[in-house]
Amino acid sequence: MTRRKHRLLPHTADLRVEVRGKDFPAVCAASVETLFSLLTDRRRVRRGERRTLAASGGSEEDRLIAILRKALLLLYVDRFLVRDAGATMDREKVAVTLHGETIDPARHVLYREIKAVTGHGLAVLGGPSGVTARFIVDV
Amino acid sequence: MRFEDIPLEQLSETSWEIPRTGGMLVPGLVFATSGMMEEIARDQALRQVMNVAHLPGILYRSIGMPDIHWGYGFPIGGVAAMDVGEGVVSPGGVGYDINCGVRLLRSNLEVAALRPRLPELVAALHRDVPSGVGSTGDVRVTGKEMDKVLAEGSRWAASRGYATSDDVEHTEDGGRFPAADPESVSATARRRGEDQLGTLGSGNHFLEIDEVEEVFFPEAAAAYGLFPGQAVFFLHSGSRGLGYQVCDDYLDVMTSYMRKHRIDVPDRQLACAHIGSDDGRRYLSALAAAANYAFANRQVLSHRVRETVQRLLGMGPRDAGIRLVYDVGHNNAKFETHDVDGRRREVLVHRKGATRAFPPGHPEIPDAYQEVGQPVFIPGDMGTGSYVLAGVPGAMRMSFGSTCHGAGRRMSRTQAKQSVRGKSVFGAMEKRGVLVACASHRTLAEEIPEAYKDVDTVVDVVDRAGIARKVARLKPVAVVKG
Repeated sequence: MTRRKHRLLPHTADLRVEVRGKDFPAVCAASVETLFSLLTDRRRVRRGERRTLAASGGSEEDRLIAILRKALLLLYVDRFLVRDAGATMDREKVAVTLHGETIDPARHVLYREIKAVTGHGLAVLGGPSGVTARFIVDV
Repeated sequence: MRFEDIPLEQLSETSWEIPRTGGMLVPGLVFATSGMMEEIARDQALRQVMNVAHLPGILYRSIGMPDIHWGYGFPIGGVAAMDVGEGVVSPGGVGYDINCGVRLLRSNLEVAALRPRLPELVAALHRDVPSGVGSTGDVRVTGKEMDKVLAEGSRWAASRGYATSDDVEHTEDGGRFPAADPESVSATARRRGEDQLGTLGSGNHFLEIDEVEEVFFPEAAAAYGLFPGQAVFFLHSGSRGLGYQVCDDYLDVMTSYMRKHRIDVPDRQLACAHIGSDDGRRYLSALAAAANYAFANRQVLSHRVRETVQRLLGMGPRDAGIRLVYDVGHNNAKFETHDVDGRRREVLVHRKGATRAFPPGHPEIPDAYQEVGQPVFIPGDMGTGSYVLAGVPGAMRMSFGSTCHGAGRRMSRTQAKQSVRGKSVFGAMEKRGVLVACASHRTLAEEIPEAYKDVDTVVDVVDRAGIARKVARLKPVAVVKG
């Protein structure tokens, strides 16, 4: 696992996150990792299974939130926890490959319930040092 | 006066107007004292009141309650009524936890007599009432049975032995929003809800045992069956994953609708559709179905509380006397009739972190409360206290029959955790005389009393502003948290 790519920004009630990556696919992958870091200790998650999420069309913000919402459903519908993520870009389509495993209550502790990734304050910003994404999760 | 870049005109000791500027269609109206306003203005909540004022068809004012804080789209503590013909419905005006709400169960028990058994009782409630992240219950509903839950709410609970007719009668709208259409709820949302009925959840959801500490309005307290020293059970939960998914599903639908119909709003979380459109109507049907799920959820939770208390204390239902005072939601959008600019009309009222507070004589409140007004419950933080209020006519004039819903957060979750690092939250709560059982120490640290505004001040504002009346103050003696 690499050094932390995210930080929490001030927010009164929910969790506001800033994530960095070298480009848009990297920031998508880091955002999914961040989402799961807010949920559990990813170091305890094994890289046993692979899943792929994809989003295309719309703005970068649209694609990022689509990926994050799908990632959250992996947990709540399939009970899948993410250890790490990588992403590729093909024209307008971003594909995020996830490694992880199904929740094992004996080894995994969920820190909190995330109701949803919200569109409020959602931003994807490009700069000379890479791409930054900001989003708020409702807890 | 201005806070940051927001102009404010003080109307009274407890109310402020944000004048119309830019694309605002109506002014903002916020209930708060000067001291509270300084705190409120520190985050984005006032800006969000202004954003809501941009929504097509909004009437009278975009309203903020004294427990207002930064939400997504609408502020938490926001109220907006829409013209049914030209107005829109916005999932962001309801929130993810559709029909999240509070119910109060009274009892024949007194806290003084119960106190020696409290540790056992709290442990038993923590064991029997599923709580915490991803908690699942033993009531599994799928297929046609889920359709019944979504269509019937508390009435489904009654048909399965989880509710009495008295419970149903003392629930907002009889525990059933009639516009529900189970077909409008996605397979994913159903899947998320199939094993969560009768679960508390986590975060700020709780089950508390409280003592009625002080009565301010004896006639209303008597009508609600409350007396000083009494043990009451306070429940806060909502529509769980099913409701969250309905909100997410329809935010996507509304985003497409806005593009197609060229509706421009200042925040993508204010995504909306015209009330009369197919998309608007489908969302309202799904919202009603999720609201019914929430009623059923709180009803199954109440059933567990009754079973546990009666079993542990060796009492029958009549002796324990655990009866529902009322159940009311604080995240909803509902068609109601109000006077607007001197004209009686049907409007769609969005309440996000705001409680319906109908006055005496209103046809939509139970017969038993016709003389005193609808009960309203305002949970404070887990260490300080909570309130029972009554609806008053002023709320119909000033806030579309709405009042506040809680104390409102003042500290971020990170700040809260940092402030208790190295300290025992359990110990601190015990010093306050409150027993705590919780699924997650992290959640407990995030929910410390200091993280919330002072509930006494918040309630004082709505009482003085004339949008609710104080009935009783409750003191927590035991808390079960997810």
